[in-house]
Amino acid sequence: MEFNRRQGLAAAGGLAASVALPTGEASAQTRAETLRYVTGNAVNSLDPTVPGSTRESFGVSMNVYDRLAAFGRKRLGDNWVFDHNEIRGELAERIDRSPDGRTFAFHLRPDATWHDGTPVTAEDIKWSLDRCVSARSLAPPQMSTGSITKPEQFRIAGPRTVELMVDRPDRLALSNMCVPYAIMINSTLAKRHATTDDPWALAWLKDNTAASGAYMIEQHRPGTQTILRRNDKWKGGALPNFQRVIVQTVPEVATRANLVERGDADLSIDLQPSDVAALEQRGRVKVVSVPQTNGFTHISMNNTIAPFDDVKVRQAIAAALPYQHMFQASLFSRGRALFGADWTGTPPTADFPQPMPLALNLDRARELLRESGHPNGFSTTFTIGTGTSAWAEPMAALIKESLARINIQVDIRKLPDAQFNTGQAERSLPFYTEGGTAWLPAPDYFFRLYFTRPQRWNFASFNNEELNALTREAQFETDPAKYEAACKRMIGILAAEVPLILVWQPLHEAVMARNVEGYTYWFYRQVDFRDLKRV
Amino acid sequence: MSGTLRHVGWVLRGNPMTAAAAVGASLLLFIAFFAPWLAPYDPIASNVPIALQPPSAAHWAGTDQLGRDVFSRILYGTRVDLAIAFSAVSLSFVIGAVVGSFCGYVGGTLDRVVGRLVDVLMAFPLFVLAMALVAALGNSIENIIIATAFINLPFYIRFARAEVNVRRNLGWVEAARASGDSDISVVLRFLLPNILPAMAVQISLNLGWAILNAAGLSFIGLGITPPTAEWGIMVAEGARFITSGHWWLVAFPGLALMLAVLCFNLLGDGLRDILDPRMRT
Amino acid sequence: MGRRIGVRLLSSVPALFGVLVFTFLLMRVLPGDPAVFFAAGANAGQAEIDMVREQMGLDKPLHEQLVRYLWDITRGNLGNSMTTGQPVRTDLIERLPASLELTFSALLLALTLALPLGVLAALRPGTIVDHFVRFLCTLGVCVPTFVSGLLLIYVFYYLLNWAPDPTGRIDIFAANAPEITGFLLIDFALVRDWSAWRAAAGQLILPASTMALFVLAPLARMTRASMLAVLGSDFVRTAKSLGLSDLRIIVVYALRNALLPVLTISGIVFSTMLGANVLVEKVFSWPGVASYALDALLASDYAPVQGFVLLMATIFVMVNLLIDILYGVADPRATVA
Repeated sequence: MEFNRRQGLAAAGGLAASVALPTGEASAQTRAETLRYVTGNAVNSLDPTVPGSTRESFGVSMNVYDRLAAFGRKRLGDNWVFDHNEIRGELAERIDRSPDGRTFAFHLRPDATWHDGTPVTAEDIKWSLDRCVSARSLAPPQMSTGSITKPEQFRIAGPRTVELMVDRPDRLALSNMCVPYAIMINSTLAKRHATTDDPWALAWLKDNTAASGAYMIEQHRPGTQTILRRNDKWKGGALPNFQRVIVQTVPEVATRANLVERGDADLSIDLQPSDVAALEQRGRVKVVSVPQTNGFTHISMNNTIAPFDDVKVRQAIAAALPYQHMFQASLFSRGRALFGADWTGTPPTADFPQPMPLALNLDRARELLRESGHPNGFSTTFTIGTGTSAWAEPMAALIKESLARINIQVDIRKLPDAQFNTGQAERSLPFYTEGGTAWLPAPDYFFRLYFTRPQRWNFASFNNEELNALTREAQFETDPAKYEAACKRMIGILAAEVPLILVWQPLHEAVMARNVEGYTYWFYRQVDFRDLKRV
Repeated sequence: MSGTLRHVGWVLRGNPMTAAAAVGASLLLFIAFFAPWLAPYDPIASNVPIALQPPSAAHWAGTDQLGRDVFSRILYGTRVDLAIAFSAVSLSFVIGAVVGSFCGYVGGTLDRVVGRLVDVLMAFPLFVLAMALVAALGNSIENIIIATAFINLPFYIRFARAEVNVRRNLGWVEAARASGDSDISVVLRFLLPNILPAMAVQISLNLGWAILNAAGLSFIGLGITPPTAEWGIMVAEGARFITSGHWWLVAFPGLALMLAVLCFNLLGDGLRDILDPRMRT
Repeated sequence: MGRRIGVRLLSSVPALFGVLVFTFLLMRVLPGDPAVFFAAGANAGQAEIDMVREQMGLDKPLHEQLVRYLWDITRGNLGNSMTTGQPVRTDLIERLPASLELTFSALLLALTLALPLGVLAALRPGTIVDHFVRFLCTLGVCVPTFVSGLLLIYVFYYLLNWAPDPTGRIDIFAANAPEITGFLLIDFALVRDWSAWRAAAGQLILPASTMALFVLAPLARMTRASMLAVLGSDFVRTAKSLGLSDLRIIVVYALRNALLPVLTISGIVFSTMLGANVLVEKVFSWPGVASYALDALLASDYAPVQGFVLLMATIFVMVNLLIDILYGVADPRATVA
């Protein structure tokens, strides 16, 4: 079934196009069976691999598209969180791994169908996998982190079996089949809309779907709202409870809080910490607070720009930041602090992120500055982005104040997000703050992504030979003891060299109606509507 | 001179509100000059342990997210906001009135060319233009002043041009010309003062608009950079704390902003009454 | 007369052209590389960023981009928005009725309040009534629109629950609106769906009030000023000396003449509101063109901002033309340049 009626209507100079439901059907959907989710950002693409897709687009695609596999979930206290150590089949009924860890066989569910009713075939899967590594999209770089780079690595091994082969056993190969980019597409439908310039139908799939997931797109107005309708023939798991999900963009954060508290909206995950605290206290809504184990907020220094190329200067700054005050003022202490640990040299565990030995010590900072040859301090710029200003502005003000005490003059610069991202990509920001999320939270993945190679996500432009070598080896390390030792060493290097400072992991706070249950914190930091139910 | 003073007194007595506004504006200027002596605390010194305290004897307007004294920040904010308002409006008024008057009086090619340029400028959705300018130039106080002055310019040019256009063939203007005054002299000595009352209304609105513009830019994230105290950014940030019950963060700066804009607007009205030659007996 | 209109129209073309070129250049001057912003996936390296840049056509030299853009405009192609993924023309057509409906309603509301208040103040100049009216109207201008909007939401929706959910134009759970003109009040009236009409009007009240509050002052002030001027003019004095009743003088003679400047200002106010209601649209999640342009501006997404500016400029020019013609007809003293 094609969902491009809106394109036709719009082209005719029509208005807000929607797949109009006959009135009888519309009134049959009761309020209780509908989930209204409000967010400050926009769903701008139905294909998550298209450049420019927002995180909200990823979230919708997890519900609308199936993937071969998915992470499981586990309990963390009262809450559900994702478990990256458990990988279960979604579109694949069973996954076989070869003893040498280099081949994965996916056996498809026999009764799985696409939204238009046609059966899912191995050819569809092969086409989708080829698209992941061949299309000019955001998928290939992600897939390469699991050693998945060429279409030759996929082959159809039977009428309902597809195999993935990697050259060396890579701990992240299978995990990469669970990420938002690894969507399985109805290739017959997609190929109908492919062109010679666009063989993978990137343009068409941005505004239309060719999927098999638990939800179908009922209406899609990019930037305003997207409405999902349950696919009653879904075979990838238990049928979700909510028949209809409205994903609505409400830019004003105070209004989102009002809507949820008044009961007009059922769920929001991007409210301010101050509002969450107040809502929790007033008790009319339910608040699910989960530590974001795979995300962090960092303060980065560009290690290639003087004076931040001097390790003593970086250590001095690390000793001059008012961690506790920043944590209170920016986050209302709603998170997990990554400072204040008391270990030295080697960390106690190989988990990452974990608290680092960072503390405010102005005397030590002054001493380090003197040793580095800047006894009279220096001046620099601290940059924040508009999108993060809710927590970044208080932090910036406190940093400016504290560094002034050791004679470092800080000028605060606030940039719109586009300029901020450009500055970051061009490596022109000397000193700035931002948040980061790693989809696959293996420690070596973290380090490889954020601390090595001259690429966009190496926030501090860090280049350390030992660390580079460690990450290269750890990717294929199968011995758990050796892997742990390598990770601990990586963390130790981070503590000694301080290329950047990990300050905290903000809580992921979902505020919802009291009768909504099942909320799970997923690694991509969006809502999986399939988990939710109204009691 | 004494005639003008007596006239001013008569106007103020007849308009108690204008008098009050004049007092208010003087008070604002006083606060702007003497803020460092009047403020009980340093406006940018943080004190996180006492963050978000409601108004008390120690902190008359409470404390903000970083524990800074809101009252002191409001006092210091007066300087920033008055600087923005006066600079921007003076700039656009002076340039706009002179250019517009000449265009309206002289006509011809000058009028046509300037008219086209003004058309281009006025056709812009102005707030978006201001945003674009600040986004392009960077959000410092100077750039906000320039952007605000720029978007107000066309109003003054057009207004002056229209008013002068209507008057330029009137009797007394002909008389001035006949008695040998040059074009420049006619415009500056006769026409400009005559059109001032109409423009005074515009000025009074603009002074307030300049401050509100800055507040709007802050709301979008293109306003003054932290940690400077400025009413607009205090109101924009404080507005996010209404739901969580910290009302003082938006109430007091909002009140200050509102009162300042009110004073300017009412004062402008009074100014027009004083300057309007038709009301002089 | 017809020739005057034609001349005026023709003389607007350079203005529009100027607007186009100026916006284009301004957008390119904005720091921030949109290609980087949009290539925000994990591990997006330089190759991916270059790919996005090529997709957006940013790798060509500036003058070539300008010529290409102008050529596209003449064929009605306003480019594509990276943030919504749609052609800009589609987005604008979709969203313009929302902004227009809001602005018209706000203007109507403001005029309904401002005209009587202005006339009242002009009839009793210098009295308490005059001062009170002036104070009331001025109060409305003194509060930033986003503050008054948020306060109205807080009081009328959150505390009192009188106003409906302040997001968008219709109740999100309701059936979809008939898509005839895009103006919900007109559409629902045409299909005689009165409960939906009431719902749509309810959604309009808070944002329209927020905007109306803000433009009350110039409208009332102008009404008062021009009314005063007219009441003090020769012909009114003549009418009074001829013994005509006050009411007849006010309504038949004075008001008609006083309305002209109010008309001019209404036109200016309308055009300004249309472009400047970005804050109100943001606060009320109103799916209008201004918030669309703002989102694009902050993302350095050029095409929507250029399209929006062109649209606003065109509307402004048309409104101005209308006013100029009416003014020129009514007041022969003014020349039409």
